[in-house]
Amino acid sequence: MVSVNPDFKKNLSEVEKAGEIDHCYQCNACVSECPTARLDSRFNPAEIVLSASLGLGELIDKDSIIWECATCYKCYEFCPQGTHPVEVITALKNVAYKSGNSPEEIKDSRVHVIENGTFIPLSEAIKKRRRELGLPEVDSTVAEQVKKIME
Amino acid sequence: MKGTDFTFFPGCMIPLRHPQIELAARIALPQCGINLIDVRGFSCCPEPWNIKASSLEDWLTLASRNIALAERGNRDLLTLCNGCYSTLKEASQILKENGEKQTISEKLSPLGLSLNGKAKVKHVAECLAEVGAERISSLVRKPLKGLKVAIHHGCHLLRPSRLVSFDDPFNPEVLEHLVEALSCEVVKYDGYTDCCGNAVRSPELSLSMASNKCKAMKDSGADVIVVVCPACFEQFDFGQLEIKRKLKKDYQIPVLHYCQLLAISLGNDPSALGLQAHRVGVDGLMKKIG
Ligand code: SF4
Ligand code: SF4
Repeated sequence: MVSVNPDFKKNLSEVEKAGEIDHCYQCNACVSECPTARLDSRFNPAEIVLSASLGLGELIDKDSIIWECATCYKCYEFCPQGTHPVEVITALKNVAYKSGNSPEEIKDSRVHVIENGTFIPLSEAIKKRRRELGLPEVDSTVAEQVKKIME
Repeated sequence: MKGTDFTFFPGCMIPLRHPQIELAARIALPQCGINLIDVRGFSCCPEPWNIKASSLEDWLTLASRNIALAERGNRDLLTLCNGCYSTLKEASQILKENGEKQTISEKLSPLGLSLNGKAKVKHVAECLAEVGAERISSLVRKPLKGLKVAIHHGCHLLRPSRLVSFDDPFNPEVLEHLVEALSCEVVKYDGYTDCCGNAVRSPELSLSMASNKCKAMKDSGADVIVVVCPACFEQFDFGQLEIKRKLKKDYQIPVLHYCQLLAISLGNDPSALGLQAHRVGVDGLMKKIG
């Protein structure tokens, strides 16, 4: 059963950096060059755009097909209408995160960046390896400022 | 050589996972007149996959914080990574074009930071292109004659072209000239500007994308894959082990960041570059290079 979420479009345009979703005329130029669509027939950027504009809520899920986008920006280059499916998909991901419907790894990445300031923690092993290569010490003092911004 | 100073933006993946790439850059770039100035306080760029997927607002704010830090130095910023490049370049465009600057500035001011729009965000390939392929060619001590190079640009170096404006998004030639400057042969292959698949969530899909590219590169006779991004590096280097294990395909094509190939051809000792950390062994490649 498909659920229609009336707040969804509003939400999407709020997050907006998304492309001009209403201008899509379903020409499918984005589909033919999409590497994910080529390998997985369930993934179709034009359909994602259409579902989003109709306010279909099923895309907002941690197991949704949107997470398979390679963010290769081919659709951005090919879209004649400025809809830019990849930006619509990113906006959808933002809505999913906000409503607690994103995969664990998205939350984990945020925790890493908030805790360490960096995406990857500074391990003892890497400190040693850097010393062996004669590289300068990594600055590990940034987390506090990052926390102020992200929390 | 006097050269040009750049604020070095190391990012996360290179210093914290693949420091041998940083080493090659710190050795080779000054030899080409590019001086890397270290600045304290940079965070994750933040990476344009998971953090951007969680909140565009947080993504833009963190990126702006890094940009503001870089702007203190009155120098352009240099990155070795397509992810950092894409995030910082796109963010600096958004700060210019959209009305976000005010809001972001208000968030940064309690941290003692402000935005002046002065520092340009540059990828190392862009900085080297400014030095010029001819100049680089004149610095080569060990010409890599006969070495067949499959370039993988990485999507975020080329696209969205309106924002990154680095090169033609489908018929690029900047990196090609830089590779040819080292006397290598650039081989073209099917799916030349396709994605490595790193950001795809499902491992099977992600590996299939990498595997398809590896196959096309192998068919073209490539001796080495040259990348300019640690995420693409991982996808092809570690990725080839995974492809062998899960997809039962064995390509064995070594992978180098352009800075590593550059360091070698400038005459630096390859055995001092920490290349044994690469998952696909480089011994055969080094023998070929001689
Ligand atoms: S290319 Fe643009 S206009 Fe055409 S279907 Fe895709 S999103 Fe719609
Ligand atoms: S960015 Fe995503 S939707 Fe667009 S072409 Fe690439 S994989 Fe397909």
